[in-house]
Amino acid sequence: MKNMLCKGIAAAGFLALASTIGLHAQEFRVFSRTVQVHGFGTQGFVHTGENNWLTMNTSNVGSGEFTDFGANATVPLFDKVRVGAQIYEHNVGQLGKWHPQLDWASADYNFKTWLSFRGGKVKTAMGLYNDTQDMDSLHVFGLLPQSVYPIDMRDATLAHLGGDLYGTIKPEKKLGSFGYTLYGGDRRDSIYGGYPYLLQIHGISMQQYGGPVMGGDLRWNTPVKGFTAGTSYVYEIITGTGQLNPSIALGGPNIVVPYKEWSNNDFMNQYYGTWSSRSGKLRLDSEYRRYWRDQDIFSGQFWVTTDVRSWYVAGSYGINKWLEVGSYYSYFTNNWNCDVPGQIPAPSASSPDRHVYDKAVTARINLKNYWYAKVEGHFMDGYAGFMYPDGFYPQVNPQGLKPNTNGVVVRTGMYF
Amino acid sequence: MKYTQWLLLAGAVMLIVPLSLRAADMKVIANPSVSASAVSADDLKDVFLENKDSLGGSHVDPVLEKGGPAHEAFLKVLGKSDAALQTYYRSLVFSGKGSMPKALASDAEVAAWVAKTKGAVGYVSGDASAPGTKVLEVK
Repeated sequence: MKNMLCKGIAAAGFLALASTIGLHAQEFRVFSRTVQVHGFGTQGFVHTGENNWLTMNTSNVGSGEFTDFGANATVPLFDKVRVGAQIYEHNVGQLGKWHPQLDWASADYNFKTWLSFRGGKVKTAMGLYNDTQDMDSLHVFGLLPQSVYPIDMRDATLAHLGGDLYGTIKPEKKLGSFGYTLYGGDRRDSIYGGYPYLLQIHGISMQQYGGPVMGGDLRWNTPVKGFTAGTSYVYEIITGTGQLNPSIALGGPNIVVPYKEWSNNDFMNQYYGTWSSRSGKLRLDSEYRRYWRDQDIFSGQFWVTTDVRSWYVAGSYGINKWLEVGSYYSYFTNNWNCDVPGQIPAPSASSPDRHVYDKAVTARINLKNYWYAKVEGHFMDGYAGFMYPDGFYPQVNPQGLKPNTNGVVVRTGMYF
Repeated sequence: MKYTQWLLLAGAVMLIVPLSLRAADMKVIANPSVSASAVSADDLKDVFLENKDSLGGSHVDPVLEKGGPAHEAFLKVLGKSDAALQTYYRSLVFSGKGSMPKALASDAEVAAWVAKTKGAVGYVSGDASAPGTKVLEVK
């Protein structure tokens, strides 16, 4: 009931906002300052032939539980200071569940081209699309490659409460320019994300998950026209607290006890490159991400290590103003280990419970300058098991998982 | 003249003619409060891509045209298509890392806005009248 109420309020809010402003960006003046208001919203539908995907009941008819929207306001307080905030709301199967989030809220002080500062809740600079992964209108693909930008694990990298030092350095024209971001702060994950949802199969109800993060991003806008390469790194100290019913995973009594897990070593590094043609019609992207986590679980009773290696290669081409097409190959493997009795990983990553290889083809149609639609096919090999979120969950696949999944994603969105 | 020399000459013509056309197609104008009288193409690009917010020590705010020959010529300076530029600005707006520059419909509107707005920098067609503004030489 409460969920439905949240859903109704959120949808009504967005519709009211969209209809009031007629899908045009709005500007108004407050104390001689210009406030800009922008927003976006998408609705998707996913059908799969075999396994249920991304916590939705996508097999059989398919699922339309794939909605998100957001709105922001920004204002330049002074010549070099800008403040703003964005609210984001999403419901994807069991994820998000119509609980609005403060997506970002920051103050930005532009001191010099080579040194600026932003603080507050800040989108984390990591790879090509981490900070814009929810902004579907910016991308040709209906779903970004899930190996590197998993929709069910977006919280893990998305934003931090803290500060960034950033800038652009141009040592010599023939060397191009270097953009950098250094950051530190605190990450707080939603309890409606993929990891807390996965833990429910073990009788764990996570109430808080997050901790200090620090990292950086360095990108080189090379002298080769249109080619940018970069690397990102983040180190985290993550703690999760909640409640555990030991009867479910450990065979203990049917009671509820406090639960805690914590990371001993937790980092992610990413390498990326992108090239776009002079006309902007052709674009090629590739990224590699490694995520390593060594953690104590079940309040220190057991340990588990997770070593996720993922990468993708993507290409897209704008045939004309109205139609763009694209394709990617996305590669995800999880090399995990633990001392939980009975949990032994498959010896080879070629086993379907250790990987997801996804081939996707997409077409994006730009219907108006504020409205688009996408149709996308996915051909997936593997489901990567249940030791780490990877799009396939046992709760929505009680019959067990098949090794291959084909699916279609249809998504439409508007922005202003 | 040898074949290779003809090729070199043709290449030079192909390079120079578009550059001169580009320069003639548009000019960069600024509010008189902007102290700079010239700007490098790199700095101009940085201003319009929101990597830089000052020229010659003066704070600047870029102003775009929504379309037209001046806009087409300016896109060549930025090295982006119009769609790519709009996507770029939206990525700044929705990630909290920038704002959408003002975009106006015609040379006259851009010229009028730049003339009355402190720190405004825009572009208009090469032969457009822009009273109350100064022309920045693009080096």
